Amino acid sequence: MAEQPSVRRSQGRLRQILNAFASSHGRALFGALGRLYRTPLATLMTAAVLGIALALPTGFLLLLSNLQGATVGWNADARLSAFLRTDVGSERYRALAAALEQDPQVAATTLITPEQALEEFRAASGMEDALALLDSNPLPAVVLVWPATGLAPDAAAALAERVRRLPEVELVQLDHAWIQRLAIMVDLARRATLVIAAMLGIAVILVIGNTIRLAIENRRDELVIIKLLGATDAFIRRPFLYEGFWYGAAGGSLALLLIESALLLLRGPAVALTASYGSPLLIHGLGWSGVGLLLGSSTLLGLTGSWLAVGRHLRALEPR
Amino acid sequence: MIRFDNVSKRYPNGYQALHGINLHIRQGEMVFVTGHSGAGKSTLLRLIPLLERPSNGQILVSGVNLSRLGRRSIPQLRRRVGMIFQDYRLLHDRSVYDNVALPLVIGGVPHVEIGRRVRAALDKVGLLDKESAYPITLSGGEQQRVGIARAVVSRPPILVADEPTGNLDPALSWEIMQLFRDFQQVGVTVVIASHDLDLVGRMGQRVVTLTRGRLLGEEVA
Repeated sequence: MAEQPSVRRSQGRLRQILNAFASSHGRALFGALGRLYRTPLATLMTAAVLGIALALPTGFLLLLSNLQGATVGWNADARLSAFLRTDVGSERYRALAAALEQDPQVAATTLITPEQALEEFRAASGMEDALALLDSNPLPAVVLVWPATGLAPDAAAALAERVRRLPEVELVQLDHAWIQRLAIMVDLARRATLVIAAMLGIAVILVIGNTIRLAIENRRDELVIIKLLGATDAFIRRPFLYEGFWYGAAGGSLALLLIESALLLLRGPAVALTASYGSPLLIHGLGWSGVGLLLGSSTLLGLTGSWLAVGRHLRALEPR
Repeated sequence: MIRFDNVSKRYPNGYQALHGINLHIRQGEMVFVTGHSGAGKSTLLRLIPLLERPSNGQILVSGVNLSRLGRRSIPQLRRRVGMIFQDYRLLHDRSVYDNVALPLVIGGVPHVEIGRRVRAALDKVGLLDKESAYPITLSGGEQQRVGIARAVVSRPPILVADEPTGNLDPALSWEIMQLFRDFQQVGVTVVIASHDLDLVGRMGQRVVTLTRGRLLGEEVA
């Protein structure tokens, strides 16, 4: 019984502390936004620098991710061309093509007989007269092997090796060797982009840190007075941290805007280009998780930059 | 309330501002610190809210030994010591109301209570009708009253004023001193540095005199 009033009082006290906490944070949050709003041009220029610095690596990573998506599609189209020895007879190569088709790793085979090859060559090259001089057909039979869809590049390479070992086979061309090379290049480009992203991230931290440093310098007299009146370090730090937060958020949003407009401009031509190769592909954007990651990391960079600046300059504000 | 025990202050550049000061100021007392420029009046006052730390000796404020007070506890000390300056130290981009509200905002006082207490403080110094004015539009005497309202709004037990009437004419100075006396009469401990001996004499309060950093003597005028 006797405890009830004190419990109620401590609850009231807790609510009072929470209210004070919420109101001081709200004040700092919107106060910082108000200060940025009152200097629109300077704020916009800083946000533009941050936006471009963030859009560059994000755009590159998006481009690479699209490129990788495209090469995965192409991998399924990769095929083996098995050139047979010229002394293999017509029954033998038909049986070979049929046998290969039974392999679980093979989707289909197409046989090109020497006669068909010569015919095709004649039609394509326009060297009919020269070909007429030949007394026998120099072209070998070719079995085109389409690997099962979704076959991994390594398994496709193993399949090629298996076909190469067949006694009738003279030469195997794995048409996706260049795709593997492309994949390596894409991976290299991705790592280079991550290095650049790290450097630009540091640049973002420095830009925000410097902007916050100037903001502190501009309000130096005010901060000294506030400190005289008994403000804690946290109270003084808070509005600048929120200022960094807003800069980061604004830079991230601007980067998002830049990337989405670039996509809008590039999507049409990209689809037209890939359609001309017979496989029109959909260019994908950042997606919700990408947007979240971009905005989250940009605000985190903003907070980090302002934290560093405030930490360095707070001690220099001792009252004179 | 405030006790100085053998306190000395030497600045980093080697200048010895205070030598072995012993002084006890009781609660509810009003004390004037006088002396020529450079005698150490400002330094003595700046030691109370720890704007400076003493080189030697001990200072106790409300029973707290300031030499044991860490950096993080200084804000709590400063909230208990209202400070008033010769140059007012107001924020010129904020209204009178916002200037006076500042200590309460810093102290985390609830929003509804801020309005009530700011108006009470402005009423006390006679500036209730100027709450939305900006300091730059006020006269020197009015600006100093805003400074006083800001110092008392959080009801600190101690007021420290460094040459509060240094920029004001005698009539205004007298009015400001009456304000300080009003606060003293409700139990606030008031320490005022002033070189205006005539004004100090007319107040009829305890006077301590500093000469080249030493406490010369005391008198009750």
